[in-house]
Amino acid sequence: MKTGQWTWLPIICAPVPAIAVPAYAATYLTVEQAQQAIFPGQKLSQSFVTLTSEQAREIERRSDAKVRHKEVQLWKASGGGYFIVDEVVGKHEFITYAVGLNADGTVKQIEIMTYRESYGYEVRNADWRAQFVGKNVSAPLKLSQDIKNISGATLSCRHITDGVKRILATYEIALK
Amino acid sequence: MKSRSSEIRRARPVLGTIVEIGAVGLNAGVAIDAAFCEIYAIHRLMSFHEEGSDVSRLNRSVPGEVVRVDPRTYEVLVYAQELSRLSAGAFDITVGGKLVEQGFLPQPHGAAPVDSEASFEDIKLLANDSVSLTRRLWIDLGGIAKGYAADRAALALKMCGVTTGIVNAGGDLYVFGAPQPIHLRYPNNPSLVLPLGMIANSAVASSSGCFANAGEPGAAAEPLIDPRRNASMKWQRGITVIAPRCVIADALTKVVRLAPRRAPKILSRFSARAVIVDRLGARPFNGQHNEMRHAQARSAVSHRSRAVVPAYRVAALEAK
Repeated sequence: MKTGQWTWLPIICAPVPAIAVPAYAATYLTVEQAQQAIFPGQKLSQSFVTLTSEQAREIERRSDAKVRHKEVQLWKASGGGYFIVDEVVGKHEFITYAVGLNADGTVKQIEIMTYRESYGYEVRNADWRAQFVGKNVSAPLKLSQDIKNISGATLSCRHITDGVKRILATYEIALK
Repeated sequence: MKSRSSEIRRARPVLGTIVEIGAVGLNAGVAIDAAFCEIYAIHRLMSFHEEGSDVSRLNRSVPGEVVRVDPRTYEVLVYAQELSRLSAGAFDITVGGKLVEQGFLPQPHGAAPVDSEASFEDIKLLANDSVSLTRRLWIDLGGIAKGYAADRAALALKMCGVTTGIVNAGGDLYVFGAPQPIHLRYPNNPSLVLPLGMIANSAVASSSGCFANAGEPGAAAEPLIDPRRNASMKWQRGITVIAPRCVIADALTKVVRLAPRRAPKILSRFSARAVIVDRLGARPFNGQHNEMRHAQARSAVSHRSRAVVPAYRVAALEAK
């Protein structure tokens, strides 16, 4: 059995029943873990930045991405860099991710902290989203623990790309 | 499953998708960083969008000009050319022009218009990782590079001492070490998955149109071009290929869809197998033209064997 590459005889015999996963989620990093992953060994101190309406408008104009939250979840690294936690909501997915910026405002590293996808109504539901905002999700949703490696058509990372553009514009306008 | 507790998983946006890497071992964190570094390198070399990539340099090159590329780019081109020959042109990486025309890719910067006659036969692979084109053409490695990146990332993990790991490049994945359960996403309803089984030391790649236009109203076609008809594909079914390497699995999903009759021979040449996933479930692809009729016959049988045990459970029992 060990040398065999795969076992899938039941599929050959008959179609296997599908398993419904209206919500799939993966947690990769807490805020602290993401900070250490991007700025290892550095001290990070949280700073509180709230965008003005003019700044938010200007960020939207420059990045072509909607500013959903005027509060920026920002930490300054002892080495001069910035650590920002952000979230993007797609049609079916909700992703929290961390962006590390170098002192000169270039992207150092991007780490996805949590990934949630849902084909129910939940993603559009503010309460469903609120439970993930600004914190790590330690209690997973009711999920099948065995379903963690899914092969399928490639997902786009366009929302994250747009989110990073917005963060770079935020740096230019409000942090620099 | 005793090893699960010490597994580390990380995900980053790269290659136009979300790449997830999981590794078990003392050095797992460092190994995952090294694996992502390799994926970034492949992204930089093979991106259609980045001006400095090997692909962009080739797409800007004048016919006859000799372009030296990275050995990794060269290796992918060798695989692509072999698959093009075996599939009689069904798989062809010179579809970049068509993808741009249909809006799936942006106009490449500084590249002259393509020759409409150009095909894979106009890519000449020379000695010393050098490449020369005989016609103006735009190469796009979107149908093969993600699989190659997964292979290379897995190699990087192994070189860092990881014994069990997985690299999942947005649905094209490679698993090594202890067998892991793999599920297939249902093409017509992404909230459903099908258990494929326990997989070890193999790659699984899938192709279907269900996500291709997510969120873009009015878009109907998907970015798979049939080079012989020069038209984009519309297909309801998903194809999953299991192969010893992900570069092969990734590319073969397109070969099965574009050249179903030749596919069985090509699959067996690469020790690969294919599965069709549609509303009737998952079943092995056997290259027969009348797949639908076979499927219906089989699904009639399956009503009587409803209590089938999911494949991964069977494998788990056997492994004990």
